[in-house]
Amino acid sequence: MTEMNFAEALVDALCVAMDADPKVSIIGRGISGHGAEAGADKRLVPYGDRVLDPPTSEAAVAMLALGASMTGLRMFHHFGSGVFAFEAWNQVVNEAANARYMSGGRLKSPVTYCMFHGLRQGGGPQHSASPHGAYAHNPGLEIVMPATPADAKGLVLTSIYSDNATVMLVHPTLLALRAEVPAGDYRVPFGKAAVHRQGKDVTIVALSRQVTEAMKAADILAQEGIDAEVVDPRTLVPLDETGILASVKKTGRLVIADEGPSFGSASEIAAMVAEKGFSSLKAPVARVNRPHTPVPFSPEMEAFLTPDAAKIAAAARRTVAA
Amino acid sequence: MNKQERLALFECMLRIRRFEEDVIRLAMAYDYVGRQHLYIGAEGAGAGACLALHKDDVAHTTHRNHGYLVARGSDRMAMFAEILGRDGGTNKGRGGPWHICDPDVGFHSTSAMVGGSIALAVGSAYGLMKQKSQAIAVAHFGDGTLDEGIGYESLNLASLLKLPVLFMCENNAKPGQRPSSMLAAKHLSHVPAALDIPTAVVNGANVEEVHAAAQKAVAHVRSGKGPFFLQADLERWPGSHQVHAAFPTGVTDIAMAWDSSKIDGKHADWIKTYDPILRHAKTLLAESVATQDELLAVDQRVTADTTKARETAEKSPFPVASDAAKQFA
Repeated sequence: MTEMNFAEALVDALCVAMDADPKVSIIGRGISGHGAEAGADKRLVPYGDRVLDPPTSEAAVAMLALGASMTGLRMFHHFGSGVFAFEAWNQVVNEAANARYMSGGRLKSPVTYCMFHGLRQGGGPQHSASPHGAYAHNPGLEIVMPATPADAKGLVLTSIYSDNATVMLVHPTLLALRAEVPAGDYRVPFGKAAVHRQGKDVTIVALSRQVTEAMKAADILAQEGIDAEVVDPRTLVPLDETGILASVKKTGRLVIADEGPSFGSASEIAAMVAEKGFSSLKAPVARVNRPHTPVPFSPEMEAFLTPDAAKIAAAARRTVAA
Repeated sequence: MNKQERLALFECMLRIRRFEEDVIRLAMAYDYVGRQHLYIGAEGAGAGACLALHKDDVAHTTHRNHGYLVARGSDRMAMFAEILGRDGGTNKGRGGPWHICDPDVGFHSTSAMVGGSIALAVGSAYGLMKQKSQAIAVAHFGDGTLDEGIGYESLNLASLLKLPVLFMCENNAKPGQRPSSMLAAKHLSHVPAALDIPTAVVNGANVEEVHAAAQKAVAHVRSGKGPFFLQADLERWPGSHQVHAAFPTGVTDIAMAWDSSKIDGKHADWIKTYDPILRHAKTLLAESVATQDELLAVDQRVTADTTKARETAEKSPFPVASDAAKQFA
């Protein structure tokens, strides 16, 4: 175990993979973002042309990664912001997502598409998207959302060694988060939720940065005598339905915290629990999402839309009072 | 080119033609066998290019994919079975006619999105280069690909990174007739040329011309000099965009090569002037490379093989329906 920040953990995973396997190849720059943590990328320099700095051609570069993965390379392609990946929408959701299935399983497509998502303060309408729900609408993709440095490392390594196309969404405000990270080839299994805090009164299922906010909310609630359990699915596809249902069975109440807008991941999790865990519920499910609107630039307006600990705590109180 | 090579081109084209004729028969016999994008009339381009490749070269094709797969020796029974959505199909019925995939003969994903094959081939070329392979990648695509932004991005990327990829463009544009490309450039090949990619333009109805140009292009790409853009101009076959299965130019009779009284109908001109198989047969006869009987014998063998493959495919069962939601782990 070594303490490092989230950005360093991401880069550590890439270095571990490249050291172990000459077939691992990387595309992208600014994997550690453009803030104070960006220096983490320097560890990639000695790998030379195994890290390609591509032209601004998201669609063709996404297909470069996919086509190369079919020849046996394990490709990790970082788009930068997830909104840039919209330029490659067809390539990710219609080519990469379908490639393995439509070949009758004859082809492998070990490609990981990584991108930043979320309300990041000042992104404005075109740089604040959280498109994980939209990706999850496309069968064939594995959807991964790490919330801690250890999970960042472990999920990157599992993605790289998966033979299916994977989309990884990283919240840029998490890059500075520091914690212990296991050394070496550490992998986190897909489809296995992490319970970050045990509780008996209400389950908070949180995705990506909202895990941090949910932990803060749990502290606030504890002072009021409400004992919250915080569950992080870590991968949206496959989703750990068993883990989520077990927690709801214990607490009888469910709050879902997610930066995505309506028609998305929180809705899917709520529907799943309504179908399969209805008898466990003592109160209506509550969602804490961004409202279904474009994102304004003006700081106070953006903050008004952004899910946070106070909003999660308020939703938890409502379910407990119901 | 020796006799054997010239006959191989003839046989390869004929294999494609007989295969596609049987696809029309299947589409007539089975209601669910939907819209077909047939390769009839383009055999000169496909056979000419594919016979210039090595076995381990990797190709990506479009929805009009049957010709290339047949040319490189994909199992025709499995191809027919895939077109019929059967368990014995190349893709176990998951892909259907537009996505035939056969990595054993160098065909990875067949994309049915315009611009898919060119971009995937650039990716394959990157993968092959990184793994220091001697193999090259080939993108088969039509003129419509240069209507798409990704066509330009892919050419640019290949040129920038000097990737080992042959861009094999089949230009069957028919100005004024849709679907067809709409390009402001005077010539398609001006686009890759602007990105510093060497180009050549050949007559796609002349299989020997295509083959000779493809051999040069492949040698260029394999030597590490970067991509090459080979354009084969085609006169579109009248049944090119079939909604309902039909034989607009009839079932090809090889004897038409020496007996023009057998050619009739609305599209007699196309058969006489542009059919690449009859054209090559005429050349082989005129230059005494082969006799009529030799050509007929090839046809007999090819037709028998094709029929057998089709009939076997028709007996293949459908996949278990409830396996539809199973992923391949």
